[in-house]
Amino acid sequence: MIKYLLGNIDNPNAAEIEEYEKAGGYRALTKALSMEPEDVIGEVRKSGLRGRGGAGFPTGMKWMFAANDPKFPKYVICNADEGEPGTFKDRHILEKNPHVLIEGMAIAVHALKAERGYIYLRGEYPEAEKSLQKAINDAYRKGYLGFPLHIHRGAGAYICGEETALIESLEGKRGQPRLKPPFPVNAGFFGGPTVINNVETLANLPFIMASGADSYLKIGSPECPGNKLFPVSGHVERPGVFELPMGTTLREIIYEHAGGIKNGRALKAVIPGGISAPVLPPDKIDCPMDFVSVQKYGSMLGSGAVMVFAEGTCLVKVAWRALKFFEHESCGKCTPCREGTGWLRSILERIENGQGREGDIELMEDVAGNIAGNTFCPLGDGAASVALNFIRHFRSEFEDHIGTDCRKMAVL
Amino acid sequence: MSPAPSAEKPLAGLEEIKKNYPASSAALMPALYEARRQFGWLSPEALSAVADALNLPKAAVRSTASFYGMFNQGKTGRHLVRICTNVACMVLGAGSVLEKLEARYGLTPGGTSRDGRFSLAVTECIGACDKGPAMLVDDDMHTDLTGERITEVLERYE
Amino acid sequence: MMTLTINGRKVELEAPVTILEAAKRNGIDIPTLCHHPALELWGGCRMCLVEVEKMPRLQTACTVRVADGMAVRTETPRVVAARKAILEFLLINHPLECPTCDKAGICALQDLTVRYGAVAGRFEEGKRVFPEVVDDPVIVRNMKRCIMCTRCVRMCDGVQGASAIGVIEKGARSHIEPFSGGRYNCEYCGNCLAVCPVGAIMSKLHRYTYRPWQMEKTVKTICSFCGVGCTLRLEVRDESIKRVSAEFGDGVNNGLLCGRGRFGYEYVDSPERLKTPMIRRDGRLERATWDEALDYAAGRLLEIKKENGGGAIGGIAGGRATNEEIYLFQKLLRAGFGSNNIDSIARLGLLPAQKILEDIFGQGAVANLISGIPRSEAVLVVASDPTRTNPVMGLEVRAAARAGRKVIAIGHIDGLRRHRTRRLEAKTGPGQETMIMAGLLSELLKIKPLSGENPEFEEAIKAWGKTLPGPDEVEKATGVSALLISGTAADLKDVSTSSIIAGRELASSMDIRTNMMMLAALGYILNSRIFLISEHPNEQGLIEMGCSPEMLPGERPVDVRTFREKCEQAWGAGINPEAGLTLMEMIEQAGASIKALYVMGEDPAFGLPSRGRVKEALGRLDFLIVQDIFMTGTAAMADVVFPALAWSEKDGTYTNLEKRIQRLKKAVIKEGIEDWRILAEIGKRAGLPSRYRGVADIFREIAQVSPIHAGLGFESIEEGGVLWPYKGKPLSVSSSPSSAAGRFPGSGKAVSISPPPDRNVLKLVLDKPLLHSGTLSTHSDALMDLTGGPEARLCPETGGKLGIADGDAVKVSTGEGQISLRARLESGLPEDALFISNDFREAGAFELFGYQLEPESKTPVLTVQNLKVERL
Repeated sequence: MIKYLLGNIDNPNAAEIEEYEKAGGYRALTKALSMEPEDVIGEVRKSGLRGRGGAGFPTGMKWMFAANDPKFPKYVICNADEGEPGTFKDRHILEKNPHVLIEGMAIAVHALKAERGYIYLRGEYPEAEKSLQKAINDAYRKGYLGFPLHIHRGAGAYICGEETALIESLEGKRGQPRLKPPFPVNAGFFGGPTVINNVETLANLPFIMASGADSYLKIGSPECPGNKLFPVSGHVERPGVFELPMGTTLREIIYEHAGGIKNGRALKAVIPGGISAPVLPPDKIDCPMDFVSVQKYGSMLGSGAVMVFAEGTCLVKVAWRALKFFEHESCGKCTPCREGTGWLRSILERIENGQGREGDIELMEDVAGNIAGNTFCPLGDGAASVALNFIRHFRSEFEDHIGTDCRKMAVL
Repeated sequence: MSPAPSAEKPLAGLEEIKKNYPASSAALMPALYEARRQFGWLSPEALSAVADALNLPKAAVRSTASFYGMFNQGKTGRHLVRICTNVACMVLGAGSVLEKLEARYGLTPGGTSRDGRFSLAVTECIGACDKGPAMLVDDDMHTDLTGERITEVLERYE
Repeated sequence: MMTLTINGRKVELEAPVTILEAAKRNGIDIPTLCHHPALELWGGCRMCLVEVEKMPRLQTACTVRVADGMAVRTETPRVVAARKAILEFLLINHPLECPTCDKAGICALQDLTVRYGAVAGRFEEGKRVFPEVVDDPVIVRNMKRCIMCTRCVRMCDGVQGASAIGVIEKGARSHIEPFSGGRYNCEYCGNCLAVCPVGAIMSKLHRYTYRPWQMEKTVKTICSFCGVGCTLRLEVRDESIKRVSAEFGDGVNNGLLCGRGRFGYEYVDSPERLKTPMIRRDGRLERATWDEALDYAAGRLLEIKKENGGGAIGGIAGGRATNEEIYLFQKLLRAGFGSNNIDSIARLGLLPAQKILEDIFGQGAVANLISGIPRSEAVLVVASDPTRTNPVMGLEVRAAARAGRKVIAIGHIDGLRRHRTRRLEAKTGPGQETMIMAGLLSELLKIKPLSGENPEFEEAIKAWGKTLPGPDEVEKATGVSALLISGTAADLKDVSTSSIIAGRELASSMDIRTNMMMLAALGYILNSRIFLISEHPNEQGLIEMGCSPEMLPGERPVDVRTFREKCEQAWGAGINPEAGLTLMEMIEQAGASIKALYVMGEDPAFGLPSRGRVKEALGRLDFLIVQDIFMTGTAAMADVVFPALAWSEKDGTYTNLEKRIQRLKKAVIKEGIEDWRILAEIGKRAGLPSRYRGVADIFREIAQVSPIHAGLGFESIEEGGVLWPYKGKPLSVSSSPSSAAGRFPGSGKAVSISPPPDRNVLKLVLDKPLLHSGTLSTHSDALMDLTGGPEARLCPETGGKLGIADGDAVKVSTGEGQISLRARLESGLPEDALFISNDFREAGAFELFGYQLEPESKTPVLTVQNLKVERL
């Protein structure tokens, strides 16, 4: 199996430019630069690459929209604001293989005739900033970068992962989502056509350009080609990031790559795509992990972050903590999310504390139902769906919890 | 975190940072980082200095700063401890780590130890879920925390 | 053309508008909270969700544009359920304290709750609490009530351009604060509270003293503070103004107001208002009956006329008087007492500036629509700061800057400091704008092709341009970099429409003619509409109604027989054919050729430079009549005092700086006699028959006498006012191209530009604060609470040089006099400049300024000698 994202990860010097070059790095860029920008876009479109940030939008199409907009200057922004709880895949690229991202950005900047590139990096990743900045400096030194590429540090706001909020933040404002349309590909950073791609998405580009779209299409599933990084956390024997072809089943990821459930216990629940993705019960783990299949199983691939909960975990508490997260990260722009996430959290909190009442589960369903579909951006939908799906799959646990003070927690 | 800004030219380095953006207003976040470094925290004086340096309205600077968790902090102790309590770290025992901090240093979320050595903030996911519970002490990441390990780590900070 | 089906009804639309707008046009009401027509789209409250066919999610009607063939339903069960849910979300943290909330009754949240039905409280946790903040003198902030629609912030940022408030924190902890967290320290326009749909941001004036539904009347009238002429609504109860508001869509201001307009109305209820006429007896002013006072006033004036001739009587009118009052005033002096000695504060700038420009381009040259400013490709603001003197016009300049127009600030324009402008500010301090304009003009003449529309005029300005200093010379004199000047010129090269805004600072100058010619030349080259700042609400009316020694109503020269005859016929009295004395000449002649003065709504003892000498002069008069609402400094010296009515207590018309005539309406009934009646009564006693039943009759006479007002009646002025050109005939003396050139000095005539002052020499600058404009504002408690007293503003660097710290008490003296006041250090002010305003009785700048008459216009040019500042 080819590993082109983190293949070199066991090499302690993988982040060094010389090591990267040794492994064939920057040849894809050289090749791309010898091509017409339109042809680079054509190749990316042909590859079927889909955005790894969560929505799975075809990258080539996004590029084409921006390229077709007559306005200049254009911008390429790397979304390195990895904040989805359970997700730590981009951090691995940023810290251990930064050049694959930088090369990917350079390819994108060339393809889009962009004026500048920015990497919007989570404020909580100081290590990544250091390695990335060193890598950028080295890439300049070696003459690979013919455009300004800057790191812009976020400062602790999950919502900035949403692309229009990210642009607002990059412009020096509060990171609140913008009205769409216009979309960033037409009017993004300071009004210029702007492509925003996730770290992992951009990191796919060197392989696509070096090996060609045809080779790329042979990896993964037909609708979702390529490798995917799966960060696995929670109650597993070997948590970590695994680079596997799209469509690898959840079962294989948990039991083969992550070594199975910790201490041989039973699986109770799994979140397949970061905290915003609906939770799945154990009977759904044969789900192939790609954008299309996970949806069929009632959840979403999201960031591909697999969070595993073993038997004994209090899922009311998990749901409560998840809602607390959404409440904390709600930007406050729209009413249902601003007011509703906290309300859901407060109901969960009283259930968790043994003060739940008759009708609380129905109330939660109603409140979540009033949030879902009515918010400005997907954050509120995520919050509602987390609440609804925990209840949907684990209703009896919630019912049992009403009137029971559960202070026990599964620490395995 | 360094105390008192140099008296004469606060935020002098901003001219270079401004060049990274098409408009100087976009330099606000890096400017806030710089001001936090120079002033120790984003006091009203620090925010005013940023506003002056970037020719932005003070209220807008404050509004933006307050949006971001890392800027919306009062004065902190010498070291800022940010412990992740999100789901992955929670199920791996972040709660007991917090209990230890309170017992050992009298630290509660949002508080500062009496000796001014540590301030504690609970934080959302910091991307170390595979090695939780995890924390950042200033800019250093520490993982696989337990009640014992955390005191061992913190004792390295004066 | 596109078709929209809305609630089953097919409607046609010309252009793609939002669903909300399309619904509104078809009589369908979609509820909103965060939406406001004057503000940037937001889409946050989610109140306006509607069903759109083929879209799975409900859509916000305020942001989604109609597409052809779209089908929308605005009140389905699903929509209603969603709106109820939104209201429930809003109410879970909203304190249900409506009984003690001033907004109750006009609260959008309350009304929507009634419309969609209150829900049983299912939220059982404690509500979010923020303490009420009452630290500010005029604005109360109650963030518990806030629904985070952010209308106030979008107003402050996107319309007012003050950016004084912002959302603090995020999510459910979001709330709105000024930078300080307490006092606003802002421009105090109050436009934020006007757009607050709930009781979160409210006025402190008359707090808890009324319920909105208890207002007895709401009267739409015109503001009494400056020449913009904003439309406002006076909400009245118990014959007292409880609130001043403005409706979006109304008037030149489109519903926006400034601090003076919104919060400055309390002076009308001041206990210091004059109530009865007074006559000086044995050196003391004593109460008198109206008849006594009227008889005495008329009798004495007639005696003086008899002894010394009409030329011994003079009249000075103020810029707050109505057109009808001004008209009667000049008629009284001209026809009743045979005197052309009539003038006003318009002499300080607006009148001479306007006359010079109209001499070049024809009457109406400065009558332009304020609303056109943001549509110009470029806006030049010269010397005067419209954001302070004409605040709502200033907003249009800011709007232009926001829209990416080229805005050029020449001089120190405080209110544009943080807006996207090119700033051409002399290092040598304010007052160097003539030089800077000269540099810009000479450069523009070099690079910008002229339109060819008026070749003779073009020849004249080209020849003139050659005599002007170029950018390098200007840099030497003013410190404004030559590069910046030529860069600005280059920036203006392709501009085909523009606006120029200038004010008194350019006119009150020995270089007035040069300045106006610069404006004319720049205006021609840049195809500009020129706006002259007008500091008083009816300053334009003073000019048009004949309140000047050289002009009859309709701005007709008094020395032209045919014009005189028209008036004589209407008035039944002869008119002196010679122009009278101007404002300062009358003062200078007081006790000499001028024996009596009639002062209506003006306070020369306070409002004119060289105050000490003005007072002395007034003391030399044989007879002084003052008609005012307060016991002003001048009134205290008078022989007869008539109590006047305030602007809210009378009917009439005002003419704004666009030459728009608007209706002033009586909102409050106050005891007393309308000002026009006082004038008519004196007229009767002087043999002028009066047949007026009311102000409408006076206006009818104006339309008869003034050629420009011919054909106008009160009726036509009612809604929206009447705009220049009025139905009548403008004065046709200079409309031909060659005459424009003729009034321009040809080649050979060098330009006189006063030499720049030395650097490092302290300069005194007449400050024009945003929240005060003289006597009336200082009788308004709210405005006094905001700016409590006189201040000398200077920059910290200058403060350092002088050893003055912020808040220090200082003594400022000149050859004219001395005052004591507080120093306020403000960064961003020009160095070596001391800004002092003439608004506060205890320490006004005119105590310090002397003046010198500009020989041609007779406008007093401020002078300063031996300026000294010391810390007390």
